[in-house]
Amino acid sequence: MAEFRLQGTKVLAVTLSGGGDAVKAKNGSMVAYDGEMRFKKLSGGGEGLRGMVTRRLTGEQLAVMEVTGQGTCYFADRASDISLVRLGGERLHVEASNLLCTHSGLRTGTSFTGLRGASQGNGLFTTTVEGAGWAALLTDGPAVLLRVTPGTPLQVDPGAYVAHQGDLRQSFQSGVNFRTLIGEGSGEAFQVRFEGEGLVYVQPSERNTLGGEL
Amino acid sequence: MSHPPGGPVPEGYQVFDAATLPAGDNVNPYAFCVALDGRWFLQKGKMIAYYGQIDFHGIGHGRLDRLIASSFHSPLHAADWVVAEGRGKLLLADRAFHVNSYDLQDGNLTVRAGNLLAFDPALSLKQSIVPGFLTLIGTGTFVAASNGEVHFVEPPVRVDPQALVGWADCPSPCHHYDHAYLQGVMGGVRALTGLGGASGEEHQFEFVGAGTVLIQSSEVLMDERATGEVPQQAGVPGGGPGTPGDQGTQGGRGSPQVPQLPGQLGNIQRRFGL
Repeated sequence: MAEFRLQGTKVLAVTLSGGGDAVKAKNGSMVAYDGEMRFKKLSGGGEGLRGMVTRRLTGEQLAVMEVTGQGTCYFADRASDISLVRLGGERLHVEASNLLCTHSGLRTGTSFTGLRGASQGNGLFTTTVEGAGWAALLTDGPAVLLRVTPGTPLQVDPGAYVAHQGDLRQSFQSGVNFRTLIGEGSGEAFQVRFEGEGLVYVQPSERNTLGGEL
Repeated sequence: MSHPPGGPVPEGYQVFDAATLPAGDNVNPYAFCVALDGRWFLQKGKMIAYYGQIDFHGIGHGRLDRLIASSFHSPLHAADWVVAEGRGKLLLADRAFHVNSYDLQDGNLTVRAGNLLAFDPALSLKQSIVPGFLTLIGTGTFVAASNGEVHFVEPPVRVDPQALVGWADCPSPCHHYDHAYLQGVMGGVRALTGLGGASGEEHQFEFVGAGTVLIQSSEVLMDERATGEVPQQAGVPGGGPGTPGDQGTQGGRGSPQVPQLPGQLGNIQRRFGL
């Protein structure tokens, strides 16, 4: 079983014990390793032909490699902060670009998220990670974890959204009005509203989104 | 392993909810939480999440017009600002830069326009006569970003232009050049070509007088924000005729000045992102 730990806040160290021990990691994110490692590009996120076609169609492309071997492998991506989640059978929704590394025992897939993606340029879909094992997420700056309870829904800027888990419904909220059209927009025209019970990961930075200009 | 509702939490992270988010304080060095009850001004696109009932309005004509008069004094750069109105907890962040809040007690603080994130409407925001800077006057809280932590130093001090965030209580800022490096033929060659051992530290901002100077711990500049046009008057820095050596640009480096009709709101070009 691969062991994940953080080396500081921006480097992930994964210890592999050989045999069938494997992790899936973002293509090109290896920065160093000791021992024997093999890297194999997985087309379509390692989800087979169907997954490959789905990812191609949904624009939620995952450039993933499979890492096998014995030793310690270090991963990092553009000095982004990393958060480690140990899943025990739950499902985690995460933006494909924010997923650094997962245990090979975790299943990844794509799911429809509704209109949120439209404002984001990331497509209408998000990646799901499901099963038992470690997953490492990338965030620009340390993530802020916000709890949603039935009485307190949460609104998130699409550019700052990273991931969510739990029993959450998301809806798309728009503040576009005639003033947006004449250039008097608020810059906060689109939000994702989360209702239900769960956790939302937000990064202290915004990706460039189409909606961010409005 | 038992988990709180919502599933497992990454090690070393704290989960916040609407009640446990700090009120008017940093969540971590990169995110700031405002407990909103009424109005706040934000720079466009700095809100990352919120709980509660909050509306965002672009500033322009309409019912917020009076607010501009009382808090902005310059309608010309108001297009970059948003009014958040309502009740709830509002999270602010800016490209994972360090974020800090500052309390002004009947004081004044001048800050680089791109670094200012949000402020309490009790403060009033004015254009500084130093191009690219804004001045906040009054009593209240504001939030500013910096690349790396902010350090407070007392004048007299010389500061690298890229490390300057702002200054409070009006010390007098001026340019300072390293005389030996600029003198003579070699000085000219150095200045023009960088040949002959330029250290890159020949020019500083010098502050004298009573007050505080804010510097950031890196030389990475934040994106410049337009601070609005200044009146085309003799004697106004960056304001056109009567100021020899003026390059005709201000408010955003390198953005050519577009002739403006009186009464026009903001820079049309910038407005449409051209």
